[in-house]
Amino acid sequence: MKKELLVAGLGNPLMSDEGIGVHILNRLLQDSDKYPFAEFIDAGTAGINLLHLISNRKKVIIIDCAYMNTGPGTLKRFVPEEAETIKKLAVQSLHEADILKIIEMSALLGEKPREIIIFGIEPQAVEPGNNISRKLEEKMIFYVSEISKDIRF
Amino acid sequence: MGKNLNINVHHLTRVEGHGNIVVNAKDGRIEKIRWEVPEAPRFFEAMVRGHSYEDIQTIVSRICGICSISHSLSAIKAVENALGIEVSEQTDMLRHLMHYSEQMQSHSLHIGYLAAPDFFGAPSVVPLVSKAIDVVKTIVRIHRIANEWSDLIAGRTTHPVTIIPGGFTKVPTPEQLLQLQQTLKNTVKDIHTLADVVLSVASALPKFERETEYVSLKQTNPPTYTFYHGDIASTDTDKAMPVKNWQKVANEYMTEQSTAKWAKWHRESYMVGAIARFNINADLLCDEAKQTAKMFSLKKGCCNPYMNTIAQLVECVHLFHASIKLIDRILTKGLVSEKVKVKVRAGRGAGCTEAPRGILFHEYEFDKNGKCLAADMCIPTNQNHANIQKDMEKLVPQIIDEGEDAVRQKLEMLVRAYDPCISCSTHMLDIRFKK
Repeated sequence: MKKELLVAGLGNPLMSDEGIGVHILNRLLQDSDKYPFAEFIDAGTAGINLLHLISNRKKVIIIDCAYMNTGPGTLKRFVPEEAETIKKLAVQSLHEADILKIIEMSALLGEKPREIIIFGIEPQAVEPGNNISRKLEEKMIFYVSEISKDIRF
Repeated sequence: MGKNLNINVHHLTRVEGHGNIVVNAKDGRIEKIRWEVPEAPRFFEAMVRGHSYEDIQTIVSRICGICSISHSLSAIKAVENALGIEVSEQTDMLRHLMHYSEQMQSHSLHIGYLAAPDFFGAPSVVPLVSKAIDVVKTIVRIHRIANEWSDLIAGRTTHPVTIIPGGFTKVPTPEQLLQLQQTLKNTVKDIHTLADVVLSVASALPKFERETEYVSLKQTNPPTYTFYHGDIASTDTDKAMPVKNWQKVANEYMTEQSTAKWAKWHRESYMVGAIARFNINADLLCDEAKQTAKMFSLKKGCCNPYMNTIAQLVECVHLFHASIKLIDRILTKGLVSEKVKVKVRAGRGAGCTEAPRGILFHEYEFDKNGKCLAADMCIPTNQNHANIQKDMEKLVPQIIDEGEDAVRQKLEMLVRAYDPCISCSTHMLDIRFKK
């Protein structure tokens, strides 16, 4: 049975800061006992699979690396309606997915969660590598504490 | 006066990764036709060096968000080959079932989300929702079931966590397998509905043919429409090649129009993927899948690359029926919890599976402690690049009088038919905030 709240960390942990969503999710997982009503998923580069992961939940929190034209390391909390995509890549594909388009499709199919919150983290380095940059690593505690505030109804 | 063409599709949409199509013609004379792949290399082969044989499949599963199971399985087969590890019949059957789920995920994604908009004249699947909601709902249902199927056997939808060299860390319960089987039985009608829908719009597929070589796995003992076991077969020869000699098949080489390596075997290019598997193994499909092929007049020897999408559809029908039977076999044998024992030794080994988009090779070398010394991988899309280029060179002169928009559309559809997976590792958001 699906839990009503989903926390999904997106990204590729082998591409340094691009995997920040997965790194944060792994930290959140250490305290997952505190949130029995929430499901924590390392969604990797799941792309359009996100459509299925979010379907018919009450609340979804998405954590992802994002180019937002802010400084590296910046954490921004927003709802889908506040942002528009300027991504010019594949409209829908599995790895190069555009999560804002997926949310739009979820709405058209009538299965969009009531509440979706996206946490975007501006990267410093997107390049092959297992570790995130020091700039982001130093803010990890801050990211975890900010995002944790939203793991509730 | 002849036609002028100036096509420059920079970053083709609805394919996985970054590919460009460039065509120039002046007064009907073609000056340039190029399929370019400017994607940055990702150095996975270097990344696994120094890691333990136990970690390889976990790392390489991140190469791709679609074919992660195929990458993991090819890697595990190579590791087992290098270290002399045998697996049980139960492991073999569960791996097949897991692998089938990925083929279903990927094929339904390609047919439904990436190719269908071309058939229906929509720019993407999002506007298609309002144009043909029942069709999209059927596609979403099939794709969702395939994902849940992977979740059950692989531990999650992508990047499997249950498989290790020698076996599984966790196997499903008989009740879970029975439930999956029931779900598949209930969904068979959806697959056939999808086939009917695609048939109703199949006239949108261009009639273009070019003879080429097709390469896929072929399993003779027992004869099986295979995605997992077997030797490397070609439509250009009756002599199959053992997997350990895969480098003599791919003959990878560099070209200046691409950062990806290209491949050739008996002629200047070859094609891998569903149509290659069909051309080599079609007589081993289940009756229902053969019937679906017949609906589309798809026959062995087909050399229309656009029919690759139809071959994927035929495989979907086969995979559903084959999986229902496979679950029966697994349950009849009975599921047991197996302990995996590995005796580490130095060695080199190759492993191969059919990824949804074609044959996939992995090879690794380990020292006596099981530490990876070297790695080599050859992905299906790279094996298709030369064939895409040759198709374009034949197709453009045939359609040059149809005008720039039609030529562009047919070339884009051609590349999409190969279901290419050029790069899978980055996906990030690129957004601005509304004022």
